[in-house]
Amino acid sequence: MPVGQLLVEGLAIGACYGLFATAVVIIYKTSEVVNFAQGEMAMFSSFVAFHILSVYRYPFWLAFLITMVFSILLGILIEYLFLRPAKHPTILGMIVITLGAEMFLVGLAGWKWGAEQKYFSLPLDPSVTYEPVKGMIINNWAIAVFAVTTCIMLFLYLFFKYSKLGVAMRATQQNKHAAKIMGIRTERVFSFAWGFSSLIGAIAGMFFASRATLDPAFMMEPFLRAFAAAVLGGLMSIPGVIIGGGLMGLIENFFGYYFPHWKPIVAFIVIILVLCLRPSGLFAKHFVKKV
Amino acid sequence: MIFRKKVLILLIAVLAVLLIANAAPAATLAGFDDNEIRIGQWGPQTGPAAPWGSVARGSKLLFDVVNEEGGIYGRKIKYFIRDDMYNPAQTAAVVKELVERQGVFAFVGGVSAAGGLAVKDYLAQNKVIWVGPATSVKEYVFPVQPYLFSVYPLYEDEASVLTKYIVETLKLKKIGILYQNDSYGKNGFDGLKQRLDTYKMSLAAEIPVEPTEKDLASQILRLKSSGAEAVLMYVNPTTAVIALKTAANVGYKPQWVSSNTLSDYPLMHKISGGLWEGVITGNFGEIPDSKNPLMVKYKEAAKRLSPEERWGTFYSAGILFADPIVEALKKAGRNLSTEAVLKALNAIKDYQTIGPKISFTEKQHQGSDSVVIQKCGPNGSYIELQGWTANDLATWKK
Repeated sequence: MPVGQLLVEGLAIGACYGLFATAVVIIYKTSEVVNFAQGEMAMFSSFVAFHILSVYRYPFWLAFLITMVFSILLGILIEYLFLRPAKHPTILGMIVITLGAEMFLVGLAGWKWGAEQKYFSLPLDPSVTYEPVKGMIINNWAIAVFAVTTCIMLFLYLFFKYSKLGVAMRATQQNKHAAKIMGIRTERVFSFAWGFSSLIGAIAGMFFASRATLDPAFMMEPFLRAFAAAVLGGLMSIPGVIIGGGLMGLIENFFGYYFPHWKPIVAFIVIILVLCLRPSGLFAKHFVKKV
Repeated sequence: MIFRKKVLILLIAVLAVLLIANAAPAATLAGFDDNEIRIGQWGPQTGPAAPWGSVARGSKLLFDVVNEEGGIYGRKIKYFIRDDMYNPAQTAAVVKELVERQGVFAFVGGVSAAGGLAVKDYLAQNKVIWVGPATSVKEYVFPVQPYLFSVYPLYEDEASVLTKYIVETLKLKKIGILYQNDSYGKNGFDGLKQRLDTYKMSLAAEIPVEPTEKDLASQILRLKSSGAEAVLMYVNPTTAVIALKTAANVGYKPQWVSSNTLSDYPLMHKISGGLWEGVITGNFGEIPDSKNPLMVKYKEAAKRLSPEERWGTFYSAGILFADPIVEALKKAGRNLSTEAVLKALNAIKDYQTIGPKISFTEKQHQGSDSVVIQKCGPNGSYIELQGWTANDLATWKK
């Protein structure tokens, strides 16, 4: 059994799940809405990057920057156009709205770029690999995922702990009305959360696309896994979802090595077991909202 | 009270309309007249499987050519394409519309096994001929269905032929398989097993995969650990690309061999970033740049009649799937009827155009068990390795 290699691959895909789950959590932390359009927002941004690279032939760094700006605007726009107009929205109603946004984005991407799979690559040579320990090959993709995830985690930690906006986001999540009374412009906070979440989702989406192919449906499966990782780690805890993602990648890869038939569902079985014992996930504090 | 009465009247009216609509007999239209023969095909023109929609458009080219040459006994073919979006519920709806409203005489092609299975019995009940489904499904023709004729080789037969090539020509002894966990993948697996049993060889590794899986690291590492020198793939295009990329990332370089479903080399080469080069596949038709005179003729016709189409494997497959119905319509003569065309179809023997030799009898509606073997060259080009090869182990022929 290639333990070292399974460890690398499990952690790399796990970090990718964790990164994408972070995008889910940022919106959930501010509004308690699970954004089912998260995957498709990432898909759409990845298509924009693809379009800039293949049609305008800009260098990758420029395409990446433009895509990041676009993804922020996309997040803000979806929040502004789809969620904000909802009158007296319930959480369930908001979730249904995000499902509508998801279908809209899939349709739009299919219309613009077609259903045929597209090739998307990061400027990382897949043939370059490193073998620091015998039997443990690390490729550029995995290194990039680890590096980017670590940077984003550090930034988020500092942002939520020390920045005014970060604290405002946490306050809005805890009590929207009290936050409003305290002078926090909660609508802006929501816009920011959606934009920021969309940006992180777009980065994760590009990692997924470069590992597989790009098509309008390519983020549906990674979204489910990232969501499961978020639930496993605890939907309120950002370090929790990263660890949840890592656990998910490791469980899938080690178990899937011996029992490939069961690979797609093993992580979900573990999640059900965890939720039976800790309903808030592994790393989030359980809280009950009082009436 | 008045409101209730109104509701009741409305309900009765709706029911009456529905009853009248249902009372319209199915397939009352003959399917042809002195000027035209109506033929239909469903296929995904939009949605996730839209790239396979070119099959239905390829059949259109054949009918356009036939019409250009004067039709069949003066009758032009009126061809209907309906988009089912790869959704069996939609397939049922569009087929019903074509049979009951347009009165089609026959169907050709039809991508999607699930869609085909959803309408198979309906077409048989309405005595509508269906030739050349664009998928390999055993249930279509085993047991034999009087109105259904299949051209597509069974995946089982193809996998058996490919395995023979791996063992006898490439001289590779350790073979693994990565297969989709459904009837498509399992049929490929059965064909591989069947052939290996005759060599008394065992599989190095058998790895099932769900079509939506995006991480195949553990599966590829399992194949690598098994020492498999060749890996047979019965998977979808995205899974195949992930498999090749993952293998490159972990330094695993077996000879990849794949089913005909991945024989669109320009597409596979493009979406795999060139990793598809060197992959060997089966194919159910001649390669796109074949010198076969009919292929040259259709390629020229496509340039003229459908310049917007890419001349590729699946587009030309639309021609070969529809070919037998044209042949049967010609053989049936001037006095056209379903019975006459059925008789002509059942009499087709060793009929070959741009695909394998096709033969049908009243008791056997699986037309062929042959594939060509080819390899992806630089820039998605085609290199033919072996011409039409039948599966000598095909159980259904015995």
